[in-house]
Amino acid sequence: MLAEDRRKRLRAAMNDAGIEALVVYGNSWQSDYLRYVADFSSIEGHGMAVVSPDGAVELFLDSVAEAERAEAETGGIKVSLAPEIVREVAGRLERIANHRIAAAPLGFMPKYIADKARGYKLEDGTRLVDHLLMVKTAAEIDTLRQAAKLADDGYAVFRQAARPGRKQYELIADIEGFFRQKGCADNFMIMGSGGKDVYAMAPPSDRVIKPGDMVTTELTPAVHGYFAQICRTMVLGKANDAQKRAHALYREAMEAGIAAAKPGATAADVARAENDVFRKHGYGDYATSKYTRVRGHGLGLFVDTKPHILEDVDTVLEAGMVMIVHPNTYHPEVGYMVLGDSIVITPKGADVLTGTPREIFEV
Amino acid sequence: MRRGFIGWSKAELPEAVFAGRVKRLRDAMAQAGGGQGLDALVVYTNNTRTAGVSWLTAFVPYWAEGLLVVPKSADPYLTMAFSNRIVGWGKGVSCVAKFEGGAKPGTAAGKYLAELGAKKIGVADLEGLRAAVAQDLADAAPSAEISDATAVFERVRLQPDAAEIALAAKAGAIAQRALALATGKEQVLGEAVAAIDHAARLWGAEEIYMAAAPDLERATHFIRPEGTITPGKRFALRATVAYKGSWVRMTRCFGIAADALATAQTELAAAVAQLPSLDGFRGFPSWSIEGCRLAQPLDVFAAPSMTSPRPILPGALLTAQALIAVDGNKIPIAAPVLTGAAGFPASLLVAPVFA
Repeated sequence: MLAEDRRKRLRAAMNDAGIEALVVYGNSWQSDYLRYVADFSSIEGHGMAVVSPDGAVELFLDSVAEAERAEAETGGIKVSLAPEIVREVAGRLERIANHRIAAAPLGFMPKYIADKARGYKLEDGTRLVDHLLMVKTAAEIDTLRQAAKLADDGYAVFRQAARPGRKQYELIADIEGFFRQKGCADNFMIMGSGGKDVYAMAPPSDRVIKPGDMVTTELTPAVHGYFAQICRTMVLGKANDAQKRAHALYREAMEAGIAAAKPGATAADVARAENDVFRKHGYGDYATSKYTRVRGHGLGLFVDTKPHILEDVDTVLEAGMVMIVHPNTYHPEVGYMVLGDSIVITPKGADVLTGTPREIFEV
Repeated sequence: MRRGFIGWSKAELPEAVFAGRVKRLRDAMAQAGGGQGLDALVVYTNNTRTAGVSWLTAFVPYWAEGLLVVPKSADPYLTMAFSNRIVGWGKGVSCVAKFEGGAKPGTAAGKYLAELGAKKIGVADLEGLRAAVAQDLADAAPSAEISDATAVFERVRLQPDAAEIALAAKAGAIAQRALALATGKEQVLGEAVAAIDHAARLWGAEEIYMAAAPDLERATHFIRPEGTITPGKRFALRATVAYKGSWVRMTRCFGIAADALATAQTELAAAVAQLPSLDGFRGFPSWSIEGCRLAQPLDVFAAPSMTSPRPILPGALLTAQALIAVDGNKIPIAAPVLTGAAGFPASLLVAPVFA
């Protein structure tokens, strides 16, 4: 149902734009374009799909295990094991060179395929597919609600897992085990533990959790390929006054961002609402790129999809967009702190998908 | 998506191991182009194509892309597309001293090469490099001649050293121990998958991808288990495990008589012993040989649908998979393999045997 809806929307968007054929790329980090077009999320190797002028979809995979999996998991498309994938896809495009062909994301195309000397011409189809990826259907939003519920449940497990003496990667093992038990195939998470020495979240290390540590994480489980995210901070023991004050600042900023997220506003408006709170309290420097990456981002078939919530991103928000608002950044008195909720933009404003209390947890 | 423990184990991968690999690469670079040599070789890395840069530096990216520059004599340089706040993490999990973050790895690598005065630059898998990265590299090193150096890198990367073989054996042992935790009596597949996934990560796997053939009487394809799946009377699980940059696949079947499984294992071992000849595999309903030749951890070397299999060298580290028919059962089986050298036959590195 989801796949069929996506294919219909894609065909309609291509027809509207006069695009006759499309080539998309995906890998295990970013598989959203590929999943949208071919209903396949890549785990290993390169994956590319070509939508031909007659509407047929061919999926090229350079991993033999992936090609076997795609044969079983997809329907209505042709799957090809392509050990020399860039040459095989280029060859496929040469055969439809007399049509208007778009590539998405154009910037991800391998050199051989993007080479100007090829017999075909590639137009930039990134915006066309990006809009489909950003603005979700009701069925996609329902799926993201399920993912958000799973994120809440996962955070409860994470709180249980975080105990003094355990290593960071052991916590991750608990979470991943929980997600697999629930039938969740994929998750992205990074974390941090410690104090003022922690400037960012990172992949799990063998650092041992200690009493008094502030433990941060963002969990991003997927349901049918759709990722929802939650960010929370806990303290191993009692939170001190500085940690409580900092958390109140982040909560005020996040709630200001969520209040600003409505149809017609821009991603910049949301970022500005968050950052204004930091500036109001004298922490404006910590809302800059020196200390933080983004103030939130889109969610869907990729964990870090568009729009990025930054003061220089003018993407206009529309009903149906799903994103996380997270003023995650370094705080000079306590270290890196995170707080974030997934939301969906509705005609009336933001509807919050995650339900974990917005508190600094003490365990 | 990467989800496990990333760390540089100096006990398992001493700096001398990386120094030896870099030296071998530089020797190959010197002989490239009919003896004209390369001034530097560039290797790309991202979440999917990890195994070139990790082999030379221990660094495994969690999400970002980057480039490693190996000059003919100056220090190797790794540039990753992430902020400097993350660089500290990167330096802590790699052996490379010159490590920088930045928005455009191609530009940063090109500038480094230009500073070195490198004129002849080889890029491993230049055709597969993201076009924008390739353009940035060329723009930042305008006086250099950039060529494809896939063959140069492949020749070195294909020859595993003792450290890599040991890590593959450990990855196989993790997979074997974890798969042994499933009972075959689980009501839903997720219970077995969770136990295996959890244990492998606790034992230090940097990644484990679980796949399942939920009902072997209906289909033998492996899928990614999602949602609530009730296993059939006969089913199979496959664990693809990464440990410190080395990847293997292993499978375990449930609901099949022990003597049939033993026969399948014997048949796989016999086919493996014939490598590099593929004749032992050709009688199986399906099969594949995978290994690392550039940066993809498990690249396909041979499969029935490949008209031109890649050459299998003596002493290569591979993973063999096959579907073997025994007494009316279709038994999927997979294990890491070390091909023979100096007159010795190839053999399974970890036997696909479970208690």
